[in-house]
Amino acid sequence: MTADAFLFWFLAIVTLGSGLMVILQKNPIYSALSLAMTMVGMAALFVTLNAFFIAGVQLIVYAGAVMVLFTMVIMLFDLKQDIQAFTRGKLSGILKIASVGLLAGLVVGAIAMSVGLLTEKTTDNPVLVGNGMETTKALGQILYTKYIFGFEALGVLLLVIAVGAVALSRSKGGTHER
Amino acid sequence: MNADFITNIGLTHYLVLSAILFAMGMAGVLLRRNVLVLLMSIELMLNSVNLTFIAFSKFLGILDGHIMVFFVMTIAAAEAAVGLALAVSIFKRFNEVNIRFFEHLKG
Repeated sequence: MTADAFLFWFLAIVTLGSGLMVILQKNPIYSALSLAMTMVGMAALFVTLNAFFIAGVQLIVYAGAVMVLFTMVIMLFDLKQDIQAFTRGKLSGILKIASVGLLAGLVVGAIAMSVGLLTEKTTDNPVLVGNGMETTKALGQILYTKYIFGFEALGVLLLVIAVGAVALSRSKGGTHER
Repeated sequence: MNADFITNIGLTHYLVLSAILFAMGMAGVLLRRNVLVLLMSIELMLNSVNLTFIAFSKFLGILDGHIMVFFVMTIAAAEAAVGLALAVSIFKRFNEVNIRFFEHLKG
């Protein structure tokens, strides 16, 4: 077993285990903790895929900013154990789990069918060249040339979101105003 | 389960891993009733899609997948901000963040 394979299996087990904990924990703060663990595992998986810059952004944005947001909101609410954490109804629960299983089976089946259709590119691969610097450089170049419109649109979207979040949290119950 | 499957990590491994993570997130959205955990499950699903993009990007040698991950991350952060603001305003009104209070929304 090579180091690469060991790393992948270790990270896969960590990510899947903490991902499962996100949906099984009854206390939301434990869910948030597990989600942070999942994000860190995902960042490490990105490193194994030679996406060093994306891994750093993942750590800063998800494991940093988004998780702080979640934790702050949970602390603000002062939630105790959920009285009713999961949906009621045995039949609908079984149906939901069955539909999730069906989707997972469908996706995994499609992946298994498509093995070998896509040939792995080993020569002249822009993701694999150099020691990470070249990939990040090329990433910046196409971000600011080919995708400059999307980049600017994202800036506008973030501005709208910032204003919208403030406006939403200032409203006193919206349509239910007493 | 032969030895080659365990030692030789390819595109399929990453794709199956992200498919399982996506299914987990979907199960969380369907089964949980707390709005915060719902939002966390959505983040999980978005993250698994990011993993798919990065894996394809490496194994096909196209760098555009990294850009897509960039965009998805930004939109996920924005979505979390708006979702949490909504959760805060729901909590102000009902003192609980159960999804069943969203049924009373009108107007």
